[in-house]
Amino acid sequence: MADQILDKARDIAEGQIDFEGQRFAEFLATALLSLFGVIAFVAGHIKQDIKLALVTGLLGTAFTMALVVPPWPFFNRHPIKWLPVGGVAKDSQGITVDGQVVG
Amino acid sequence: MHSSLVRLQNVFGFFTTVAFVVAALIAASDLAAPRTPKSNIQVKDVSVLKGRPHYYSNKIEEYAQIRFSLSADLSSLFTWNTKQVFVYVSASWPNSTSVALSNEAVIWDMIITNPSADHLTNLGPSAMKKLKRSAKGKPIDPSRGKLELKNQKPKYSISAPGGKLALTNDVVLKVHYNVQPWVGVLTWTPQVEFLGWKKMRGGVSKVFSLPAVKAKKQPVKKD
Repeated sequence: MADQILDKARDIAEGQIDFEGQRFAEFLATALLSLFGVIAFVAGHIKQDIKLALVTGLLGTAFTMALVVPPWPFFNRHPIKWLPVGGVAKDSQGITVDGQVVG
Repeated sequence: MHSSLVRLQNVFGFFTTVAFVVAALIAASDLAAPRTPKSNIQVKDVSVLKGRPHYYSNKIEEYAQIRFSLSADLSSLFTWNTKQVFVYVSASWPNSTSVALSNEAVIWDMIITNPSADHLTNLGPSAMKKLKRSAKGKPIDPSRGKLELKNQKPKYSISAPGGKLALTNDVVLKVHYNVQPWVGVLTWTPQVEFLGWKKMRGGVSKVFSLPAVKAKKQPVKKD
C-alpha cells in the first residue's frame, strides 16, 4: 500500500513523457521562447515601452514553462509498445526480423 | 526532456539565451535612434571670493561662483531604452603648465529621469507623486529634455589646487550629457559623429575672464 503511494508520488514528481512527447516538448520550448522574445522586442519598440517588453518576455516564459514542464496528456499519446514477456505475442504488432513475424 | 526537472532546466536554460539576445537587440536599437541635442549657454554673473568654499575645506582660498543661463533641447536622447540623462555644465580654463591639458570643473548638474525610471529617483513622497503624475500613461517623455534656465545659480563653486583663481583668462562653460540606458553602454557627449548620433550643437559659452577677488563687506564693529 505504502509502496504504491510512493510509486505514484514518484511518477508525478518525475513527470515522464514518451519519446514523441519529448520531441514535441523540445520543439515547443524552442519555438515559444523565441517567439515571445521577438514579440517582446517588437512590442516594446513600437510602443517605446521597456516595461512592456520586460513583462511580455517574462509572461511568455511563464506560459512556456506551464505548457512544457508538467507531463500533460498530449505528451503521452505515443506509448512505447514493448515486446511481450517470453517472446510470445498474443496479437502481432507487425515486427519482422528476416521476413519472420516475431512480435 | 523525459522528466519534469529536465524540461524545467531546458526551458530556463533557453530562456536565459533569449533574454540575452533580446537585451542585445534593445541595446543595439539605440544606434538606430538619432541623437540631435542642441543647447545654448550664456555666462551671467561671475564672482571670485576668498574664504572656505565649502563646509569641509580647511584652507582659505579663492573660489569662483558662475551664474549662467542655459537653454537646451535634449529631447532626442529620450528613447525606450533611456533610464536617465545626466546633464552637467563645466567651466574649463587653460592649464598654466601644459598646452595639451586644460583645467575643467563641474559647476552644475542635473538628473533627468525617463518615466520608466521615476520610481528610482531619490525624492520625497509628494515630489515623487508630482513627478509620476507629470508623465502619467506615457512610457517616455521627451519634453523633459527641454531645459530653460535663467540666471541659474551654480550648484558647485570652483577652486584651484594652488588656491589662486582670480583674474584667470579664457574660461568657457561647456554643456555635457551622459545617457544611462536600461541595457547597453553608458554614452557621453560624442566627440565624433557616429551614424545618427550628432555632436551637440552649441553647448559652449563665449570666452570670459574671472574678475578680481570681491572685497568682503567688513562687519561693522559695535562699541
